[in-house]
Amino acid sequence: MLAQQLLNGLVMGAVYGLFALGFNLIFGVHGILNLAYGAILMVGAFAGLVTVLNGFPLWSAFIIAAIAAGIVSVVIDLVAFRPLRRSNEIEFAAIISSIGADMVLTTLAQRLSNTQVFRFPYGTFPDFALTFLGLRITGLQITIVATVAIMAAGIAIYLYGTSFGRQVRAVAESERAASLLGVNANSVYLQTFFISGAMAGVAGVLVGLAFNTVQFLMGEPYLLRGFVVLIIGGLGSLKGALAAGFLLGLIQALCTAYLPAGLSDPVIYALLFLIILVRPSGIFGSAVKDVRAVRQ
Amino acid sequence: MTGIFAPYFPILDLVLIHCGLALSQYIVLRAGVFSVATAGFTSMGAYAAALLARDAEMGVALALLAALVVGLVTAIILALPLARVRGVYQAIATLAFVQIVLSLMYYAEDVTGGPLGLNAIPKTVGTVHIFVAVCACLYVIIAIGRSRLGSALDAIRQDEIVAASLGVSVPPLHLLAFALSGAIAGLFGGLIALHTYSIEPAQFGFPLLVSILAMVVLGGRRSVWGPIVGALILTILPELARPLAENRALIHGILLVVIIVFLPRGIVDSLSARFKKNPSRLEPDRDVAAT
Repeated sequence: MLAQQLLNGLVMGAVYGLFALGFNLIFGVHGILNLAYGAILMVGAFAGLVTVLNGFPLWSAFIIAAIAAGIVSVVIDLVAFRPLRRSNEIEFAAIISSIGADMVLTTLAQRLSNTQVFRFPYGTFPDFALTFLGLRITGLQITIVATVAIMAAGIAIYLYGTSFGRQVRAVAESERAASLLGVNANSVYLQTFFISGAMAGVAGVLVGLAFNTVQFLMGEPYLLRGFVVLIIGGLGSLKGALAAGFLLGLIQALCTAYLPAGLSDPVIYALLFLIILVRPSGIFGSAVKDVRAVRQ
Repeated sequence: MTGIFAPYFPILDLVLIHCGLALSQYIVLRAGVFSVATAGFTSMGAYAAALLARDAEMGVALALLAALVVGLVTAIILALPLARVRGVYQAIATLAFVQIVLSLMYYAEDVTGGPLGLNAIPKTVGTVHIFVAVCACLYVIIAIGRSRLGSALDAIRQDEIVAASLGVSVPPLHLLAFALSGAIAGLFGGLIALHTYSIEPAQFGFPLLVSILAMVVLGGRRSVWGPIVGALILTILPELARPLAENRALIHGILLVVIIVFLPRGIVDSLSARFKKNPSRLEPDRDVAAT
């Protein structure tokens, strides 16, 4: 029974990890806390839902969701963040403009969905399960973990194996120096925002499938979880984000199993508070960051 | 977003309440502390005042004083460990604090009434009380701003290391800013509770935290009039937009983006910098979140 809980926690943790990976990418490269990121997840979920409802296969829903959420993320960058970059106030001002973007997206979604809660149609995902050492693993769970693994591997190859990735890391280190060396910083911004949006979009479809609900406010809890994972894994650390996502999933599963209902949130946030005090660089991150030294 | 308390208050009272909460947020940002704990202090003050006024039948002055003290003490306790961290870490640690307070209020049903909250609180506070409270807070903050303490706070915000090397002792000033913020937030929590007949935890969550922060950043984080202007605009704007019905939040969101894109330092600070002759005032601050 415990093993089953842990397994479910790991699967949920994979989704947290994917979401936090994109959230952390933006924070790591650009130093922006994108509060509209939960809304981007919601856009992805709706895009996936619409694709499935129009009779397209599920795999295409993932692609459409990734593209739609990626485009929304890029648009948010162009409209809400890019004009602020010239001022020295981007850290605080970006909080406001991303709140504004979040309000616009959630209101539009509320209007378009008439405040309804939607479900993926029955049978969207073939209902089968494997039994392995007494554990029941559903096909959906395998798909979730596999999708997250593919996305994470893709981002790792992109950042560390390609010249685009080298440009991204150079801009994260110092946009000025990178520009002087001929890196087109604007194209780096476009790429990172698109990728982080696409990750949220895919995470949105996975969340929609896992809980079988799609509604306009579904992003907010994930945004709050995103902060937790960001700190536990270490600011700017991508490996940390993934590992911390899994850890958060496990802790949540254990809290649900052993603590009275309603106490799992206080435990998780108290843990977060303690980690900030004891080990601000996160439990997985050393002081060295993958994409950016946080204190300049 | 800013309509959290809207169903319970007439517009003038709502503006005043938001001014108080924004001042509580302003005083920490002014000292270079990126704390978002105001919503947490507010909820604790509100519950303390509500319980004391309803169950212990305490008078309005005593209940409000108790709310203030609850906020103050909590803030001091919170400030001591948080002196170790800065910037985004402070923001996320205080966000965690708000979430802990909130979820404990949901959990401790015997005391707090759980998700339903507290009802039948005696309504003893009127517009005048809130107005006096806002004026008192403004007076204290302006007085501090004009004293040597104010210059020290500004120095810390602009560059903590330089300030420390000039002999400004940072930890006590951060503690002071936290304590003031907690006291103000607790007091206004008490005012909220005693002005309405019921309070519930959902009023004091992430949306409140975000909208208080929005008021200060939108209005301006340096001048004391920034939070006041921000609170005014973000409270009245949704009311003016009422005829737009369902498009209200949409317009609200677009306006937030447009205002901050054109006035990135906040309305008051951007405009006053534009009209000031002294170019040294135009120097941008290095701010806490940049670290």
